[in-house]
Amino acid sequence: MRKRVVITGLGVVSAVGNSLPEFWQSLIEGKDGIKEITVFDPSAYRTKIAAEVSHLDPEAHFSKKEIRRLSRCDQFGLIAFREAWKSARLDQDSHDKERVGVVLGAGSGGILSVEKYFRDFYQGTKKSPPSLLISYSLATTTDHIAIESGLRGPRTTTATVCSSSSASIGVAYEMIQMGLADVMVTGGSDSLCEVSYSGFSSLKLVDPENCKPFDKRRQGLVIGEGAGVLILEEREHALKRKAPIHAEFLGFGICADAYHLTAPEPNGEGVERVVRIALAHAGVSPEEVDTINAHGTATPFNDIAETRGIKRVFGERAKEIPISGIKSMIGHCLGSAGGIEAVATVMTLETGVIPPTIHYEVPDPLCDLNYTPNQSVKKDVRVALSNSFAFGGNNVCLVFRKFDERG
Amino acid sequence: MCVWCLGSLMKEDRIQGVGQLRNAECGLRNNDSFRNPKSEIRNREDHRVVITGLGIVSSIGIGKEAFWENCLRGTSGIKPIRGFDVGAYQSCLGAQIPEIDFKAFIKPANLRRMDRIGKIVVSSVRLAIDDSGLNLKGEDSNRVGISIGTGLGSSDTVDQFFRSLLKEGPIGAAPLLFQTAVPNAITSHCAIEYGIKGVNITFSHKESSTEMAMVFAYHLLKEGRTDIMFAGGGDELSEPLYHVYSMLGVLSPGRRKGIEGMRPFDQDRNGIVLGEGSGILVLETLEHAKKRGAKIYAEMAGVGLSGSIDGLLRYDLKGDSIARAMSLAAQKLGTVDYISAAANSTPDLDRAEALGIKKVYKERTKEISVSSFKSMVGEFDGSGGVRACGLALSLYQGMIPPTIGTKHLDPQCDLNVILGQSKKMEIRSAILNGCSNGGSNISLWFKNYSSP
Repeated sequence: MRKRVVITGLGVVSAVGNSLPEFWQSLIEGKDGIKEITVFDPSAYRTKIAAEVSHLDPEAHFSKKEIRRLSRCDQFGLIAFREAWKSARLDQDSHDKERVGVVLGAGSGGILSVEKYFRDFYQGTKKSPPSLLISYSLATTTDHIAIESGLRGPRTTTATVCSSSSASIGVAYEMIQMGLADVMVTGGSDSLCEVSYSGFSSLKLVDPENCKPFDKRRQGLVIGEGAGVLILEEREHALKRKAPIHAEFLGFGICADAYHLTAPEPNGEGVERVVRIALAHAGVSPEEVDTINAHGTATPFNDIAETRGIKRVFGERAKEIPISGIKSMIGHCLGSAGGIEAVATVMTLETGVIPPTIHYEVPDPLCDLNYTPNQSVKKDVRVALSNSFAFGGNNVCLVFRKFDERG
Repeated sequence: MCVWCLGSLMKEDRIQGVGQLRNAECGLRNNDSFRNPKSEIRNREDHRVVITGLGIVSSIGIGKEAFWENCLRGTSGIKPIRGFDVGAYQSCLGAQIPEIDFKAFIKPANLRRMDRIGKIVVSSVRLAIDDSGLNLKGEDSNRVGISIGTGLGSSDTVDQFFRSLLKEGPIGAAPLLFQTAVPNAITSHCAIEYGIKGVNITFSHKESSTEMAMVFAYHLLKEGRTDIMFAGGGDELSEPLYHVYSMLGVLSPGRRKGIEGMRPFDQDRNGIVLGEGSGILVLETLEHAKKRGAKIYAEMAGVGLSGSIDGLLRYDLKGDSIARAMSLAAQKLGTVDYISAAANSTPDLDRAEALGIKKVYKERTKEISVSSFKSMVGEFDGSGGVRACGLALSLYQGMIPPTIGTKHLDPQCDLNVILGQSKKMEIRSAILNGCSNGGSNISLWFKNYSSP
């Protein structure tokens, strides 16, 4: 039998809140976290907005020496990790550190620091310290977390960018299945940087006003940043130490469109496959799915392909399933998008509130499902999906279920 | 026809005129466990996993024949760096792959979309497919997957992109460069080129990236979630990468004393020489391999992972974590005759790995042959793919290639290191170690397929 895996800790840093309660309150209120960029000068860009993390005082969390060594991405990751770790009461309960591992997803990682080094290097104006280059590896945040808490279990980093941290949750789950760990720290962290911002900008995929998934007026995504960390734990291990259990993680699907380097397969065939694979792995039938946290980037193609894919799986019932596109509030956090969205999905199961897709005004005939427009909805949900799709058609779908001690 | 798809398909056919999907295309096989998910899906299948194809692009050979011949001869791929000026650095060597005509491996129309590391990895997948005798057209594409590890992926493309951004501002940022700059572009290139629609994942965790890619592939095959996986990966040696490694002080000789070079376990070792390349294993469930009459190089029989916490750029210092990964991987430690070491000529890692091996094997240590392929192909984050291909060949051929460059074994690394010449011996089972700075240690256990 496969081991059952539950979620016992959550932590978030995002444009709409730097802790879980603040983040969740903002989401259900439909707060927009998108504003003008400050981490670099956006004046040369066509678009000047992002869902940037603000009101975060690094000195409240780290020593001066640590701040010099940690990239922005590392800081987000550590802050979210500490919250998740504490909320899982792992700071108090005894546990075998050899059986606690870390798998995070990465996007641009600490490139912001590396950019700073190479900007100075290429422009020859001044010499930046080589210590900035420590962030050159995408694994840096993962290692920081493990080293800070002395976690000696399995450790790795997934790098599928927009679906990284969803994939990392799947990998973390498999680490428990392999018998290598009882507890896994997973999710992802990512920070804004010019390379990814200009990249999406060059692909003409960025909306200059705001992010409006599934709306007919949508022009593209808005980049965000932050971290979403989840503590996955083997069910018996969690029950034994009477840990707070937020939800159960049932399984996941992962597959490829094998279609194009950036565009999704337009008919939603890849989306359909990944959802079906996930449901089969989770042992859940399509009829049981109560809500979907969409990838919903607000790019013209993604939203159509995702809508079509959902319809292909759920048929007529697709219209009844509330879907939420929280990128409308927190932006597309790339390497941490899947992690933050998984946190939101778990909170939906726990609290029975489905966060809205904001800025939804003009329906698109090609996106004709129930996207939970502008207002959060109260509904008792038992099974929820979280979708993530990346460049190159790297699709991931996660399946969560409301925790039931008897079930 | 899969029952789950029927309802939605019939509607879809009317609504969108989408052609009827074959059962295979919905990603589910028409078997009972999917019909009755509740009762059966949670049962875990347990398949044996075998290695049925090897694809190697390395500094000492393209394709397994050339690579293996050079391995057995103890040929070094290390030469003065070509392609960029190393005047500003304290090192000048690298193990670069020779100029390749990628048209021999990749459709010309697709070539222009790929950067160099993309071409290297896609070519190694082509070589692996050819070597395995697989006819991918005859396979259910949903049951074929790919799991790639790369430490720094398209570092050169990222650098080009960044420089154009610096020079010309956002207008200079080229979309074509950006879409190949993401680390998973390599994996996507492979999926698109060969129509691989199943599992698709990319790992990036320093020197254990490719080992992790193989771990994940192995586990999914073992559980019966897929039939065939291409697993491995690689890295390229680019100028920005050379710069970063040099600035971080890990290159030989860097700021240290001594002669530049790779000499794992040597008392005068003083850092790494950067290499590049890509290695891909075709991993298959035993049933699937047998059904198509595939040649089996070896069995992949176990994995072990553990973490050390000695510092962000530090390897496992005492070897405890390495020892644990090895013990977790090999269920029958007593049958291990050979260890393909992660030793990369750095003072710390080689000592730690020796300590780890001694902790596991104690008085038996001297009976176990040890060698490091990195002595020939250099060190790079995604070296695990090439080294795993080498290890599969070792098991299949009963030959262990030498560790070259090493002259005076460090007394702290008093292992049975195969030096100078390759050694012929029957190998019952072997371990491949992958150890990254920061502390992710992975061991893979390969078994001789013919031995019981």
